Amino acid sequence: MVEEKQILTKNMRDSKYSGDLKAYKNAGGFNALDTVIRKMKPEQVLELVKASDLRGRGGAGFPTGVKWSFMPKDTGKPSYLICNADESEPGTFKDHLIMMRDPHLFLEGMIIGCYTIDCNTGYIYIRGESQTAIAIMEKAIGELYKDKLLGQNVMGSKYSLDLYVHPGAGAYICGEETALLDSLEGKRGQPRIKPPFPAVSGYNSCPTSVNNVETLACLPYIINEGPEAWKAMGTPNNSGTHMVCISGHVEKPGVYEVEMGVSLLEMINDLAGGVRNGKKLKAVIPGGASANILKADEADVPYEFDALMKAGTMMGSAAVIVFDEDTDMVEVASRTIRFFNHESCGQCTPCREGTFWLKNMIRDFLDNAGDEAKMQRVERVSANLIGTTICPFGDATGGPMGTFIGKFPEDFRKHFA
Amino acid sequence: MPTFYLDNEPIEFEPGENVLAAALRHHREIPHYCYHPGLQVTAQCRMCLVDVVDMGNGRGMPKLQTSCSTAAAEGMKVDSQSEKVKHGQILVNEFLLINHPLDCPICDQAGECDLQDFSFKYGSGQSEMEYEKRVYGLRDVGTFIVLERNRCIHCSRCERFTRDVTGTHDFGMFLRTHELTFDTFEDHQITDKFQGNLADICPVGCIMNRDWRFKKRAWKLNKTESICPSCSTGCNITVEHHKNRVFRLKPRENQEVNRWWMCDEGRIGFKQLNDRVTRLAEPQARVKGQLRSVVWETAYEAIVTRLKEIGATGAQAFGIIDTHATNEEMHLFKKLMQEGLGAETVYFPLRRGEQQVQPPREDMDPFIYTLIQTDKSPNTRGALAQGLTGDEDDKRLLAALQAEPKVAVICGAPLEDNAAVCKAAAKAELVIQLGTFRGPWTEVADVVLPGYTYAEKQGSFTNKADRVQRINAGIRPAEGARDQVRILQELLAALGKPQKTVDAPDVFDAMASEQGAFKGMSWDKLGSLGGVLPGK
Repeated sequence: MVEEKQILTKNMRDSKYSGDLKAYKNAGGFNALDTVIRKMKPEQVLELVKASDLRGRGGAGFPTGVKWSFMPKDTGKPSYLICNADESEPGTFKDHLIMMRDPHLFLEGMIIGCYTIDCNTGYIYIRGESQTAIAIMEKAIGELYKDKLLGQNVMGSKYSLDLYVHPGAGAYICGEETALLDSLEGKRGQPRIKPPFPAVSGYNSCPTSVNNVETLACLPYIINEGPEAWKAMGTPNNSGTHMVCISGHVEKPGVYEVEMGVSLLEMINDLAGGVRNGKKLKAVIPGGASANILKADEADVPYEFDALMKAGTMMGSAAVIVFDEDTDMVEVASRTIRFFNHESCGQCTPCREGTFWLKNMIRDFLDNAGDEAKMQRVERVSANLIGTTICPFGDATGGPMGTFIGKFPEDFRKHFA
Repeated sequence: MPTFYLDNEPIEFEPGENVLAAALRHHREIPHYCYHPGLQVTAQCRMCLVDVVDMGNGRGMPKLQTSCSTAAAEGMKVDSQSEKVKHGQILVNEFLLINHPLDCPICDQAGECDLQDFSFKYGSGQSEMEYEKRVYGLRDVGTFIVLERNRCIHCSRCERFTRDVTGTHDFGMFLRTHELTFDTFEDHQITDKFQGNLADICPVGCIMNRDWRFKKRAWKLNKTESICPSCSTGCNITVEHHKNRVFRLKPRENQEVNRWWMCDEGRIGFKQLNDRVTRLAEPQARVKGQLRSVVWETAYEAIVTRLKEIGATGAQAFGIIDTHATNEEMHLFKKLMQEGLGAETVYFPLRRGEQQVQPPREDMDPFIYTLIQTDKSPNTRGALAQGLTGDEDDKRLLAALQAEPKVAVICGAPLEDNAAVCKAAAKAELVIQLGTFRGPWTEVADVVLPGYTYAEKQGSFTNKADRVQRINAGIRPAEGARDQVRILQELLAALGKPQKTVDAPDVFDAMASEQGAFKGMSWDKLGSLGGVLPGK
């Protein structure tokens, strides 16, 4: 039986919790920041985060402490911490929830993060459509300035920090960290070639760390309870808890906080109430639209970065999308490729032309004009997208499209001419 | 120098250089579209894929890498011929072609199109695309170029050129995904003087030189290395011609002079070369007030006879040469005036050049703007190096003419627009012109000796930075005209001063063996990129 944890969701579980600064402080908020600012040096915080094995929750699962340790010191340039709150992966809605319900938890983590990498300016890049979240964040930041938790001399120390909210214009690609940086600089949001990595040359060519909302929200707990308490949850190398967004054909869709490494299938059945209307499970996308789909018999995998990688897919941004037995995979493929075709930035040849071509071919199947050659062609073009583009967009399109047709060929055959 | 291995062949590289740049420098071909050595690397066409078998540390890279953005490392092993790489090239090329109109038969780029060449060489030759292709339509974006966007392969060279090189930001990227398009903002027209470069760097027929469209198939053109004579920068160019008609001038890479670029003023400079109407094609002599065609020998005889009759000496012989003449002509002209006619000074109109156009921003590399100089002749520095007498405001020259010289020898068409000079010189008893086109000087000349244009002869120009660069004979000269070098030597011989030299290279080497600014240089060593005057 999978149980919910209440580490990040402790406050927001209480329906009376207002999310303002007073409520957060009453719930023990900003103790971690107090410890950090008064008793710890940035290097000590970094060691602590490294010791916790915290991995980024944005999609790639890169260890946060290691990422921060890559940032060069004494370059004479300012460092920046940028929070990626774009959350554009279809199926993901956890960061939005944190910002809406418990903004100060995230902001405390963000201030700790900024302190750790010694940056005096931080940006929170929120997608423009999330107007409510933007307003809540603006209000929360205002409260912090008033309470001297931001601005000159945070909590009376020598450390100063300014945080800004930057609304994006709603492009999926601006959730890719280098495209986000371009967008933040006022340019057209397009992924950059790496190296140089943002840690060396990011925002305005300065050392920059881009972190996810949930990653930063984990920091107060790690500081308060210590890295051992964090590592006690989850599995080795996949420590702590994780907020999972379960959507699709389930009884109770929503965000559930679980330990890393619980079974995906059990999570769907125990927490989300199983497939709705008593139908059978057909397939699960475990990590957002860009993760490869799993068939029902593959769904009993531990829900963690490494095990899902081994199963040929990824945890991504922890967006579990469930499909029941009535689902036509051609329609899923069609919806997915229409999204990716619409959102490709267009700079790399395979992605720009490949998504266009795939969209047309999948539309043929929808129009019941498919054939065996076309199926093979979809598989071939999908494979050609993988690993050939600047950013992971090619993999994110080619991988799922390949598995839709590879794992559910019978659905496509139903649409033959 | 550090070395990496491309298909087991050692390639030396500069620290920090990328694999593609180093490979191209060693004349190894790796197909590419978006990479251009003069522009920032964006790695977006994905054509220059290579397999990095060993990064220099014993480990390889799992995926194919774009060689334009992969830094070379000591001991790195790169494979550009494996099946994996070939497959990668085939698929990228297939993607590029699915929306390309394949209108090569009516495209002027055909024959010099990267997409065409690389598709034949590295593509699969097949297409499985069965949907309607993307159509953008033609756009009128500049005074010098047209934009045929259907052919665009989205390499973004045009955007990067106007962003980083000219700083004008004329081109932008609009829309996204397969609708992505490179275009100017709304109905903005590009009006700067570097538009031709956009047509050059466009790897396909998307941006075309307006003037060149529908004139000639590219593969028919013969190419002659030369130097642009339209200003004192001396951009390295190729004169492209077919059946004795020049169709266009293109820049030729020379990092010391013009890098990869040239200006539009220079590009349209070829028009006069095709002028058959005002071209002087046979020697003429004035008989009873009228210019009559004569044979060369008669012209020389007439000159010698008249000179004897007049018996001019010293200051009574006036010589002026324009700065479109080559170093060799200047050298011989000086000899003719001083040794043949005994003149003391040889004049040329001296125009101090400066940068004509200023860059739009201060925080950019202003290099391309230094190309256009206000001195619109190619060899002012050469005339100075020869020790000819330069005259900045034409006052000394007019004063010399006030003294009413008996003989005036005009080489080229100097100060054509200064009627006072022409009028004053016309008073001389004998006016000889070595020219190429009919003009004010022809009207006053007693003997006209037709020479060659710069595309018809060999020679050298000395540019604003004292760099001596060769021009070469490309098109067949007008029948009846003679090389200026030959005419000047024949005149010298007729006046009893025969020269041992024959052609321009000869004259250059003779000049270099004498005391003077060119001492120690040699024609062969100039090569195709030229050399700087010794001591400069």
